[in-house]
Amino acid sequence: MKFAIAVFSAAHAPSSRRALLFAQAALAGGHEIVRLFFYQDGVHSASNNIVAPQDEQDIARQWREFVSQHQLDGVVCIAAALRRGMLDQGEATRYQRSAVNLEAPWALSGLGQLHDAAQNADRLICFGGT
Amino acid sequence: MSTLHVVSHSPFTDSRLDSCLRICGSQDAILLCGDGAYGLQQSALHTQGVKVFVLAEDLQARNLSLPDWAERVDYPGFVQLSITYDKVNAWL
Repeated sequence: MKFAIAVFSAAHAPSSRRALLFAQAALAGGHEIVRLFFYQDGVHSASNNIVAPQDEQDIARQWREFVSQHQLDGVVCIAAALRRGMLDQGEATRYQRSAVNLEAPWALSGLGQLHDAAQNADRLICFGGT
Repeated sequence: MSTLHVVSHSPFTDSRLDSCLRICGSQDAILLCGDGAYGLQQSALHTQGVKVFVLAEDLQARNLSLPDWAERVDYPGFVQLSITYDKVNAWL
């Protein structure tokens, strides 16, 4: 079974963790994740500047490690990211900003990638809200 | 065409669950997760004949008891439900 997973909430929201646990369970069950798409506030899950309190789970780090470990296609919506100050090196240079908070394994791309993922997957599962 | 409706908001803070129940078909099911697990306290839920599932960790975290008309699932169970039903509609 091919899954496309869209995340609409930041790393500190329970739904982001739920998406991560779902994705882990999907791979453990022998399924494929064609793409992870981070949209709206979900782009914050890809920030490499998040500092989680020591006694709390660092979901942003867990996402990063999960995507790297399984070499998944982790796409962050570029329009949603830019308006929230999430920039990779290319965008920081383009808009002459001082900070870069988005690096590999994440890739900035357009909303078309969500549509494409939905077309290629058997199931699109969205996580957001609380 | 069957749909799994995923509800993560408490029915005591908004009307998502009510809206969901209104459009639920007889082949559909509802998966309660997060604060949506409080939906188990909503008697309207089991009078409709729609299958109801709840994410086990959210049931446990809120110390809710499982009614006989609902079924608990873990994450592998969640994945399986998303396959069993033709579509998954999350009530973000």
